[in-house]
Amino acid sequence: MSTLSAPVAITGVGVLTPLGDTPDLVFSALCEGRTSLSPAAEYGGIGLAAIADFEATKYANVRNLRMYNRTTRLAICAAKLALTEARIDPATLPPEELGLLMASTYGHLDVLIEYDRSLVANGVQRTNGALMPLAIPSAPGAMVALAFGAKAFSMTLSDGGSSSLDAMGLAARWLADGRARACLVVSAFSASPDIVRVVSRAGMLAPTGAVHPFDVRGSGTGVGEAAVAFVLERSQDASARGAVSRGYVCGYGATFASRPGEHAGALQRAAKEALGSAGRSVDDLALVSAGASGVRALDSVEGRALSAVLGSRAAQVPVMAVKGALGETLDASGSLQVLAALVALEKRTVPPIVGLGEPEVQGLSYSTQQASAREGAALVTALSRDGACSAIVLSGAGREGAAR
Amino acid sequence: MARRVAITGCGVVTPAGCELELFWDSLMRGECMLKPLRTFAFRDFDSLIGGEVTLPDADFLPASIDTDRYRARCLELALAATRRAVAQAALPFDLAFRERTGAVIGTTLGEERQVGDLSDRWGTVGEGAIDAGFLARSDSHRLASVAAERYGLGGPVVLSAAACSSGNAAIATAYDLIQMGAADCMIAGAADTLVRSIYCGFFRMGALSKTVCRPYDKNRDGVSFGEGAGVLVLEDFESARKRGARIYAEVAGFGVSNDAHHITAPDPSGNGFMRAIKQALATTGTALEAVDYVSAHGTGTQYSDLCEVRALYAIFGERAKSIPMSSIKSMIGHTNGAASAIEAVACVMAMTHQAVPPTVNVTEQDPECVIDCVPGRGRAAKVGTCLNLSAGFGGFNACVVLRGVS
Repeated sequence: MSTLSAPVAITGVGVLTPLGDTPDLVFSALCEGRTSLSPAAEYGGIGLAAIADFEATKYANVRNLRMYNRTTRLAICAAKLALTEARIDPATLPPEELGLLMASTYGHLDVLIEYDRSLVANGVQRTNGALMPLAIPSAPGAMVALAFGAKAFSMTLSDGGSSSLDAMGLAARWLADGRARACLVVSAFSASPDIVRVVSRAGMLAPTGAVHPFDVRGSGTGVGEAAVAFVLERSQDASARGAVSRGYVCGYGATFASRPGEHAGALQRAAKEALGSAGRSVDDLALVSAGASGVRALDSVEGRALSAVLGSRAAQVPVMAVKGALGETLDASGSLQVLAALVALEKRTVPPIVGLGEPEVQGLSYSTQQASAREGAALVTALSRDGACSAIVLSGAGREGAAR
Repeated sequence: MARRVAITGCGVVTPAGCELELFWDSLMRGECMLKPLRTFAFRDFDSLIGGEVTLPDADFLPASIDTDRYRARCLELALAATRRAVAQAALPFDLAFRERTGAVIGTTLGEERQVGDLSDRWGTVGEGAIDAGFLARSDSHRLASVAAERYGLGGPVVLSAAACSSGNAAIATAYDLIQMGAADCMIAGAADTLVRSIYCGFFRMGALSKTVCRPYDKNRDGVSFGEGAGVLVLEDFESARKRGARIYAEVAGFGVSNDAHHITAPDPSGNGFMRAIKQALATTGTALEAVDYVSAHGTGTQYSDLCEVRALYAIFGERAKSIPMSSIKSMIGHTNGAASAIEAVACVMAMTHQAVPPTVNVTEQDPECVIDCVPGRGRAAKVGTCLNLSAGFGGFNACVVLRGVS
């Protein structure tokens, strides 16, 4: 069984989505049951949710911002918002004590496509050479680290939908080991035209644009756009500097299964691993923030895994899922689930699952309308298309908080 | 109590050979494998020099994964090195063991050739060039997930991207996942192949050597690229001992830092490198005098070599001039993300054989790089503790400490 040596405080959050650019705005929209997805005629009617009128300079004054792609700009802006909320800047924290873990699998892909296409069409001498260092998977994270002078470390995890939960788990470990005093965990997914084209051809999108998580009607997902950043700190460091914690990362688990028939078992093991490493049981859970996206096969796996994990409490623990409202944001999706869970714990309110009418897996307490939640912990689960499963256990900032 | 992490298997596929002993013998002889490329070209260059891997037929992927059109070269290299490492470790692979075993693979560009294929077809078919499988094929995570699938692994499966530090990043991540108890055994390594975006980018930056790379030489003129993969099997030390595994060495720990200085250029002061090395030494309790060999990043660019040497001077003082410190990139080329994984395997071989590999192509050593770069040929040496250094675009530095076991 894995262990996190101590809970890690979340002292800053930054978010950019089509539903808003603060945690409260996003959560309010979720509670109202609003969706940002609408059919995109230019891509054959798939559901698309892009951030309208995104202007990076509104959020961050960073050198070279305009030369970065949309994913990187979104990531930088979310990081800036998180650092501001955490009250971290070079005056309060030496750059050598700030680390960065980025969740990005596809964040470089549009730059690479553009760069390589130009090499073929125009030749090496007439291609913008400055694009090359921005065309590798670690580039978005490296640029965020450069923008904010994060000198402790800067690494990218490219695990698709599991990326951001894995990054949070590793950040907790590196903070516990004293490799930094604060760590930015940043994830971003952008709806740039090349990326939407690539995702729309991959057969995971609902042809009509309608997204139904956990539902028997699930025929695919929609493409969302988001960037989320968290500032994590050791609890004692956050307390010592008087930082306000939004909640705590208490446990982490990660597993894998290549065969679809084994995915439910693997996700179940990841969830149990995360609970075990947090020293919690399902009795402590106030809610589950699931990754269900409308892809029926994957949602069914997640539903069965959660049923097995929750056992006799399956009918009591509310299960929420944000992708009906925000679409699939791959690398950013786990972070959006974490963000929604944190605010849900704070407000003791669970938002409804947009698009859910008739659940495929029975017996779970799906949140079909805004409902109240008790104090406790949250389980966040993610399952990648290739079988990588990750789970995080969070606690709120209340009296339960970092106590365990 | 902190878990110790044993190395119970190693595998490489490199221009210097695809079997450990062949690879090691070639390095020790100082054979430079950098030659005009046969299997990779781009129309803008008359001739490209680099290090190519000749894979045995058994390592080519079956048609289900690899077709002529979508050649998954990077995956092929990763799987070939993994197969060798797993075989050497003689892992039990019963269900309980597999569920506690994961994989972390690193890469700089992964399956960039999938994008290359897309660009080649874009001119004739436009958007139609993007087919249903493109997203999955271009997803670097499959370097780890296909390896995990092949061996039925059930532990964490992660892709670490830290540019040319990706190999060390993968080893560090795997080490921590074992330390955390998230897994008892991890397959850890990295793979990269020759891709045109890197060649063209370095050419435009003036950082591509016109001949062959010459780390620490006064007249060094840049990088030569290679392709390859290096993979290690890491296990909880006690579990490995209990199952009777042969333990070749251990990962004692690591240090990391970030320059946050420039998109491509390292911090010329060497400060970033220095912090990574200091953290590695401190967290592993390694005394300066215990370091027997430094596996250098040593790319052969003016800036990078100099800042690495400055970091060593700052930490080791006068002793920096006498610790054997070599760059095998001078023989197999810079294999990008795979480099520090392959170099970690070279460190294990150095401890196994009690010898250090050379730096070749050094004809006039840079007076600003006064180190023992083991010029020309390898030599016998006492090797108990190694530092494996790496640095990457964006400024991520890593130093993994590898220690021999008696």
